[in-house]
Amino acid sequence: MTATTDPVARNEWIAAGWLGQIAPGASHDTMILGQPIRITRTGEDSYRISEIGEDGSEGRELPIQTRYTCIFTTLGDPTRPLPEIHEFDEADRVVVGCGNVGVNTSPYRLVENFLDMAHFSFIHVDTLGATDKTEVLAYRTEHRKDVDEIWAVDCTFFQPAASKAVKGGQMTRYLYRVMSPFSVMLYKNISEDSDRNDAICVFIQPLTETRCLAYMPMAIVDNENTAADIADFQQSIFLQDRVILENQRPALLPLDPTYELPTRADASSIAFRRWLKAMDIRFGIYEKQAA
Amino acid sequence: MAPDQWNAVALDSQIRASSSNPVIVNDYALALWRSASGEVNAWEDRCPHRGMRLSLGFVEGEKLRCIYHGWGYGPDGQCKVIPAHPDLTPPKTICAQRHAVESRYGLIWTNLAEDPHARLPDLGADDGWEAVRSIFLNYAVQDARKAVMDDLVGWNGALSDGDVVTLELPDGTTLAAAFQPVDAGSTGVHFVARGPAVSAEGRHGLARQVVQLRARIENN
Amino acid sequence: MKITLYDYSLSGSCYKVRLMLGFLGLEYERRQVDFYPGRQHKTPGFLAINPLGQLPVLEDNGLVLRDAQAILCHLANKYDGDGTWLPRDPASFGPVMMWLMFAGGELMAASSARLHDVMSYDLDIEAARKSARSAFRVLDDHLTHREIDGGTWIMGDHPTVADLACFPYVALSGDGGIGHEEYPAIRNWLREFRKLPGFHAMSGISEYV
Repeated sequence: MTATTDPVARNEWIAAGWLGQIAPGASHDTMILGQPIRITRTGEDSYRISEIGEDGSEGRELPIQTRYTCIFTTLGDPTRPLPEIHEFDEADRVVVGCGNVGVNTSPYRLVENFLDMAHFSFIHVDTLGATDKTEVLAYRTEHRKDVDEIWAVDCTFFQPAASKAVKGGQMTRYLYRVMSPFSVMLYKNISEDSDRNDAICVFIQPLTETRCLAYMPMAIVDNENTAADIADFQQSIFLQDRVILENQRPALLPLDPTYELPTRADASSIAFRRWLKAMDIRFGIYEKQAA
Repeated sequence: MAPDQWNAVALDSQIRASSSNPVIVNDYALALWRSASGEVNAWEDRCPHRGMRLSLGFVEGEKLRCIYHGWGYGPDGQCKVIPAHPDLTPPKTICAQRHAVESRYGLIWTNLAEDPHARLPDLGADDGWEAVRSIFLNYAVQDARKAVMDDLVGWNGALSDGDVVTLELPDGTTLAAAFQPVDAGSTGVHFVARGPAVSAEGRHGLARQVVQLRARIENN
Repeated sequence: MKITLYDYSLSGSCYKVRLMLGFLGLEYERRQVDFYPGRQHKTPGFLAINPLGQLPVLEDNGLVLRDAQAILCHLANKYDGDGTWLPRDPASFGPVMMWLMFAGGELMAASSARLHDVMSYDLDIEAARKSARSAFRVLDDHLTHREIDGGTWIMGDHPTVADLACFPYVALSGDGGIGHEEYPAIRNWLREFRKLPGFHAMSGISEYV
């Protein structure tokens, strides 16, 4: 595809690489929102990102931020800053990046899957869900207008093995936070101390409307497992979801609430779709053909 | 609007009890599923909840369960189970899109028209038909049909054209080829046979001949 | 007796060995290798264990083995008292070996397609999918004849290391954009394999049959 003209999508910060992906002095060609770009690592901690023109030459230079193990850029003038996630600044946490994983679907299908608890008992059997405990208890969603984010609060679900660090089943408490159409995270209450929630993010790089790369930086409280163990657990979970994501039809997200029918457990998905509709984003949205 | 037309989409014997299978007809994806008791259903391959392909689901008794959230649908298409809300009776509006389906001559047939009136192709008596095998050719259906006809002309037997191509073999066995238009570049051809050559040994022989037919068509 | 598996959860080849260990009821210790994104299998430390820089590796009482197919044969040879996973009779041994080599050879194109789609491996994806489809067709043709005989497995009346070795990358092929629409006999075989007692899934394969 060619680069999207959708101003809403263009004005978001988008993850385009992970720290460590490119060797010093080297460059890497990729794409955001249909626009080919080149990331060059100009020094140990410095990068340059440029659009690549049709003739293959480097054109306009794009803004860069490196945070949360990722390299972010944008095609437009971002209306919102990168989110603040203070857990990544706490020195005693394990921060894990997981590289990126390719997924052939629209970015919003990834966000919705991440927000969803009802699939745990079917897709994440014996880890995030048990086959005999499938109920999703009522939770609340909020549109936090000061930061223009969607939150889901008071979420609980029974989990046989909620993380690499947990032994045995428990009711896990979750807080979900959608920071942009292309980024979502959760705070997962593993221990008694709610200040020590695990923070798990998904930053999505939409290559095109139906092809994405997903980055999963995490800031985890875990004194036992190595970063590789934690990454392995998270990758295993994500590849269970990936099969679902690639087999949803259509890949583009339908915003018409009669086309895909939600229930109470989908409150966060409903709030997310309303929010997308209200911001009038067009990139990656399913426009049903007139009958 | 889908045409009022029956297409063979699988060999009946290969759609097992308690299974859900992906099938594509004219670019339209179907979940072809068979309940534990043997009832065959052809549904749009899309869960009404979040669009998950139902062909990746699993069959529990007479219900098809979506793999994503476990929603369970009865043969009438109605959602009966929503595991996230065990006490909820699912509203009537949650219903899978069903399509007409028939099992005849050892084949499973579907008609995607909203209100189908067309009749199934007539191959005479329904009993005695046995599966030979299915093949898939990288051609649109009209080209695949022509290629199969052109090859069967060289076999020893009497060839007849029709919705289903048939070949009367010298020993009295009828070999029938039914076509599944998949998309612009792919066609399924489902072969069944009736008569003296439908013993296991005879079917092995016919299946090998069909594979050779496929190889000849692809080498042309 | 002590068995150690150098393992990566998302590797279909490691999964072959985990399945075999599971079917045989063997206890083992798992050594997590950071295959992606760490590429730990290409580090000097790992190359000392397997100079080919590939997973899996199995250590069994001091014996160090690489290659999933070789490891399956080793485990079946040493620990399968019934001898059903690795038949020794002259009519079965050859065919089982033939399909075992096919699993480690032609079928690995499906693994390449998956590495491309999931982990952005730089390779010719259309060529990989085409090769995988050719291999799947060979397997589907074989299983179609097995169905005519009322058979379920690649060889004989019970699953062997050939079925086990072929299973993962066929079952996981959707991860690389290769569907099962054109392979009805393969679909039936996969479903029966998933119903085996002692079977366990991995990411990309459903627990529900």
